[in-house]
Amino acid sequence: MTPHCTPLTPAAPPQGLGPGAAAERLLRDGPNELRPPRGTPECLKFARQLAGGLQCLMWVAAAICLVAFGIQRGQGDLTSADDVGPGRLGPSRGWAGWMPGCQGGKGGWMVVTYPVQATVIREGDKFQIDANQLVVGDVVEIKGGDRVPADIRILSAQGCKVDNSSLTGESEPQTRSPECTHESPLETRNIAFFSTMCLEGTATGLVINTGDRTIIGRIASLASGVENEKTPIAIEIEHFVDIIAGLAIFFGGTFFVVAMVIGYPFLRAMVFFMAIVVAYVPEGLLATVTVCLSLTAKRLARKNCVVKNLEAVETLGSTSVICSDKTGTLTQNRMTVAHLWFDNQIHTADTTEDQSGQSFDQSSETWRALSRIVTLCNRAVFKPGQDNVPVAKREVIGDASETALLKFAEATVGNVAEQRSRYPKVFEVPFTSANKFQVSVHEAGERLLLVLKGAPERVLERCGSVMLKGQELPLDQQWREAFESAYAELGGRGERVLGFCQGYLEGPGEGLSAEQLPGEGLCFTGLVAMIDPPRASVPAAVRKCRTAGIRVIMVTGDHPITARAIAGSVGIISEGSETPEDLAARLPSVRPRRQARARVLTGAQLQEMEPAALVDALRTHPEMVFARTSPQQKLIIVESCQRLGAIVAVTGDGVNDSPALKKADIGVAMGIAGSDAAKNAADMILLDDNFASIVTGVEQGRLIFDNLKKSIAYTLTKNIPELTPYLVYITASVPLHLGPSRTPGPLPDAWAPPSPDAWAPRGRQALSPPRAAGAMQSFAGFVDYFVALAQEGWWPALVLGLRPRWEDTREQELQDSYGQQWVRLPYAAPIRALCPYRAASHPLYGPSVAPTHPLYGPYMDRTQSPYGPIQTPVWLLHIPYTVPICSCTGPYMA
Amino acid sequence: MENFRRFVWNPETKQFMGRTLINWVWISLYYLAFYVVMTGLFSLALYSLMRTLNPYEPDYQDQLKSPGVTLRPDVYGERGLQIYYNISDNKTWDGFVTTLQTFLTAYTPAAQLLNVNCTSDTYFIQDTFDGPNKTKLSCKFTSDMLQNCSGLTDPTFGFPEGNPCLIIKMNRIIKFYPGNGTAPRVDCTYVGDDSRPLEVDYYPVNGTFNLHYFPYYGKKAQPTYTNPLVAVKLLNITRNEEFKIVCRVIGTGIISDNVHDPYEGKVEFRLKIDN
Repeated sequence: MTPHCTPLTPAAPPQGLGPGAAAERLLRDGPNELRPPRGTPECLKFARQLAGGLQCLMWVAAAICLVAFGIQRGQGDLTSADDVGPGRLGPSRGWAGWMPGCQGGKGGWMVVTYPVQATVIREGDKFQIDANQLVVGDVVEIKGGDRVPADIRILSAQGCKVDNSSLTGESEPQTRSPECTHESPLETRNIAFFSTMCLEGTATGLVINTGDRTIIGRIASLASGVENEKTPIAIEIEHFVDIIAGLAIFFGGTFFVVAMVIGYPFLRAMVFFMAIVVAYVPEGLLATVTVCLSLTAKRLARKNCVVKNLEAVETLGSTSVICSDKTGTLTQNRMTVAHLWFDNQIHTADTTEDQSGQSFDQSSETWRALSRIVTLCNRAVFKPGQDNVPVAKREVIGDASETALLKFAEATVGNVAEQRSRYPKVFEVPFTSANKFQVSVHEAGERLLLVLKGAPERVLERCGSVMLKGQELPLDQQWREAFESAYAELGGRGERVLGFCQGYLEGPGEGLSAEQLPGEGLCFTGLVAMIDPPRASVPAAVRKCRTAGIRVIMVTGDHPITARAIAGSVGIISEGSETPEDLAARLPSVRPRRQARARVLTGAQLQEMEPAALVDALRTHPEMVFARTSPQQKLIIVESCQRLGAIVAVTGDGVNDSPALKKADIGVAMGIAGSDAAKNAADMILLDDNFASIVTGVEQGRLIFDNLKKSIAYTLTKNIPELTPYLVYITASVPLHLGPSRTPGPLPDAWAPPSPDAWAPRGRQALSPPRAAGAMQSFAGFVDYFVALAQEGWWPALVLGLRPRWEDTREQELQDSYGQQWVRLPYAAPIRALCPYRAASHPLYGPSVAPTHPLYGPYMDRTQSPYGPIQTPVWLLHIPYTVPICSCTGPYMA
Repeated sequence: MENFRRFVWNPETKQFMGRTLINWVWISLYYLAFYVVMTGLFSLALYSLMRTLNPYEPDYQDQLKSPGVTLRPDVYGERGLQIYYNISDNKTWDGFVTTLQTFLTAYTPAAQLLNVNCTSDTYFIQDTFDGPNKTKLSCKFTSDMLQNCSGLTDPTFGFPEGNPCLIIKMNRIIKFYPGNGTAPRVDCTYVGDDSRPLEVDYYPVNGTFNLHYFPYYGKKAQPTYTNPLVAVKLLNITRNEEFKIVCRVIGTGIISDNVHDPYEGKVEFRLKIDN
C-alpha cells in the first residue's frame, strides 16, 4: 500500500478545502487527537490485589474462622476469640499487596507532545487554527520549530528537515521533499509525521491522516493493544500458591479425619482443619516478596534505574536477551568527530564523553589548514553565555554534523569565534542536497580564502592538488587511490565522511556569486569522519552481559552499516565475527552460511522473512543486529525471542519503541531522551540513559531472585514448627494451645530479610536447609514448651497424655507435679495460662526474638496478652538452638 | 499423567520420584542422622531440665497466685455446677450423697493417721524436715470437724430434709499464706439482685480454714497433706425455685473478682430443691 507514491489527483489543490467540507470531514473523522485508552480504575486494581492467589486463600481462611468463631461464641465458648486472628490477616495482606501495586499504576498513558496551532490554507487563505481541527485534505504549512500537526504529504519544501528520532530512532534530521523515495511510509521522504519536529526550512503539505489514524496513532494503539506479559516471579508465585494450597488442604483434611476419629466434635475438628490450612499459608510471603523487591527497587533507584513495576526488578534478573535500541542507549546521541584523514594517514579523534581520551598529533601544517576549514566552513554557532560550560555540553544552533565539527574545532584548536573574526566571511553557498557541498569565502589579508566541505567525492572533483605536511602536491592517481581507500574504510565504519578543501581567490569579495567560484583546482586537505560514538561504559557492560549469559541484540531504525559499526565497537558483534555477507565475500564457495556468528538484518529483509525464519535466524546467529526496523518489526523481533524461550528486556526511547517495550518481559525506557510514551510503556526507566545501568539492574535482579527463593524457603520453614504441635497434640496428647491465630508471624518475616548484599553468591545448595531448620525450630519450640511448663510445675512425664484432663471443663483441681491444684480457665483455656510453645517455635525465634517479645514478654500483663507473661529465663532457652538453626539457615542468610 | 509417570520413574536418569536410588539412600541417611541428633539434643535438654528442677517447689508460681475454690458434690449441668434434686425422690439425691461420702473417705481418722494434731491457730511454718523420710508434717483434718455435715451423724447430709450439706474446698498452692494471719472464711450468698440473706450453717464454726493447714509445702514434702474443708449447710431454701448461689473464700490475698476466672477464690452453683 503506497498511496503516498501515487501522483496526486487532482494535482496539488493550492487553495485548500472550503470551510464546509472541512467541517463535514471533521464531523466524520473526529478531531485530530490521539484518544487515550481507558485505564483501569484504582478501586478495581485494589480489588484485584485483594483477590490474588495467596490473598484468596487468606480470605477463605478468614471467613471460615469467623464463621467458626460465631458458632463457638454462640455456644458460649470464649476460647474461640482466637479464631478471629486470621480474619484480621486477610485485609491487611490485601493492603500490603496493593501498596506496591499503586506505584505501578501511576501515570497516565501515552502523552504525545501535541502541536497546538497549525497554519492551514483554506480556500486560498492562510489561517491559524487549532491543530485538532485539521482534517484530511487540508493543506498546511510548516516551518522550522513547528511540530508537524498531522501526517502530511509534502507538496513543496525548501530545505525542510524533520526530527523523526522519537518515531524511528534515527538521530539525524531527515530531509523532507515532495518526491516519493521509498515504498514504506516510514522511509519515504515525502511524508512528515504527526508530532515530529520540523527543525529547519519550510514545507507545504497535504494532510493525509489525522488523529488515531496517523502513524503515531497507529503505534499508540499497537502499544495499548499489547498485553503486559506476566512476570516470571508472578508465575512462580502462582505455581507456589497452588502447591501450598493443595498441601494445606491435604494436611488439613488428614487432621480433620484424625480429629473426628479421636472423637472431637465436628466444629472443633473443623477449627483444626482451618488452623492447619492457615498454618500452611505463608502469609509472610507476600510481604517478604514486596519488601525484598522494594528494597532492591530503592537500591536500583540510587543507581539510576527507576522501577515502575516492582516485579520488574526480579524479571530483570532472569533476563536472557536484551534488545537494545542504538541511539542514545548504546551511543551518546550526538554526532562526534571520530576520525580524520590527512597527510595520507587516518587519525583518531577523541570521542569520549568527557574529552578524556587520547588526541592525535596536531603538529602538522595540514592539520592547521584543515582545522581552519572546519572552523570557517561551518554555520553552526554556540549559544551565547556558555563560556563556563564544557565544550561537549554546550548548546549549539546548527545541524548535527556542523555541531560536531564546531565542537571538535573548539575542543582541539580552541576559540572558534576568534578564528572566525580573523577571517570575516564575505560569501557563502549553503549546503543543498543537490550540490552536496557547502562553500564559504573569507577575507585572508589581501586574498580571499575559499573553504569548501561536502561529500568527499564531490569535493575531490574540484581539487587539483592535495596537501601533505603543508605542501601542496599534485593530485595524482596514487593519491586518488589513497583517498578512495581511506573514504571506503571510514565509510565502512558507519561514519559519515566529509571532505574538506581550500583555495585562494584574488580580488574583492563584494559581489561574488556562486557561478564565479572556481569549480576546480582547489587543494584537498583531508577527510573528517563523524559518528554517534558509543558510550564509554557500554562495551564493558555488553561484555558483562555476555559473561552473564545474556545476549544483546541491537534493534535500531538506523542504517545497517552504522548499526553494524556501532555493534562492532561496543561488542554486540564481537571481533572476528562475520556476517553471512562477510563470509560470502571471503569464501564465495561456502554455501550454507549458517556458521556465520553475526548477522545484520534490515527491516526490508525482515519484511520478506517468514516468522519461523526469523526465529531460526535468531537461533543460528548469536550476534544479531536489526537495522531500519519499524515499530511492528521490533514487536515481531521481541516475540520471536520470546518464542525461543527467552526473557526479553527491551530498551527504547522513542514512541516507536513503546509497543515493543510493552510486549517485552521488561521494558526499559530512557529517562532523558525517552518520550513519555516509552516511559509509560516501560517497567523501568534508566535515568542516565546508560546501557550500563541495565547491567546493574540485571545484577540486582539476579540477587533478588536468589534472595526471594531463600526468603520463600525461609518463610516456609515456619510451617513445620506450626504443624508439629498438631501432630504432637494428637499423638502424644500433650496439652497445647491450638488455634488458627498466629499473630506474631508476618511482620518479623517481612521486615527482617537479611540484607541482600550480605547474601551469598549463588552456587552452593545446602541439603534441604529449610526443612531441617523447621524441624530444629520444632524441637527448640518443644524444649521451651516443656521447660516453661516444668518450671510452672508441670513435668514432662505428667504432661504427656494430660490433654483430656487438661481440656476437661469440669476439672477444677488438676494437680501438677508438685501437688498444687489448678482450675481451668475458660479464657485461653487449654493452656491454663501458659503458651510458651508458640512463642518459641517462631521461625525467627533465634535470630530475632524482639518482634515477638511484646506479646509474650514477661512485663506484659494478662489483660493484654491472653497467654499471660512467660518467665524471662524461658527466653534464654532457645539459645543453644539458635546455633544449629542459624548454621542451618546460615547458607541462606550469610 | 505422562509427566507424573516420568516423575515416579524416569528410566533415562534412573530416578525414582526425582532422585536416584543412591540419592534416596543418602537423603534417608541424612535425615535419619539428623533426627537422631535432634532427638539426642532434645533428650539432653529435657534431662538437664529435670536435673535442674527443684523437687520440692516449682521455679515459678506467677500463673498460680490465688487458689481456686471447688464444691462437692460437683455435678455439672449445661450451665455449670448444678444441684437439682427432688426431696421425695431419693434417686435424685443419692448420687450427691455418694459423692460426699466418697470424698470424705480421705478424711477418716484412718486416712489421717500419719498427720499430726494441730492446735495452734497460726501458720504451721516448718523450716526443717521433721517428718519421717525427710518430709514435713501435715495437720490432721478429719471429717468429724464438719460436725453436722460430717456424714457421721447424718449419713444423708441433710438432703432428704431439704437442708443439704455442701463442702467447699480451697485448692492448694505451695507456700501460699492465705488471710495474712487471719483465718480465711467461707461466705455464701445469693447471686444477683436477690438481697435476702442466705441462711447457712458453716462447719467448722464461722466457716474458717484454720491457719495451721497453711502453708502447703508440696507433694514431696507433705505426701499426706489434705486440704482443709468447710461444710455449708443450706437452711430454709424455698422449694421448687432455682437459685444461684456463690460461695467466696474471704481473706487477704485471695482474689475472687477475676472475671476471666470464675473458679478463682469462689465457686458458683445453681440450686433447686423440689418436693
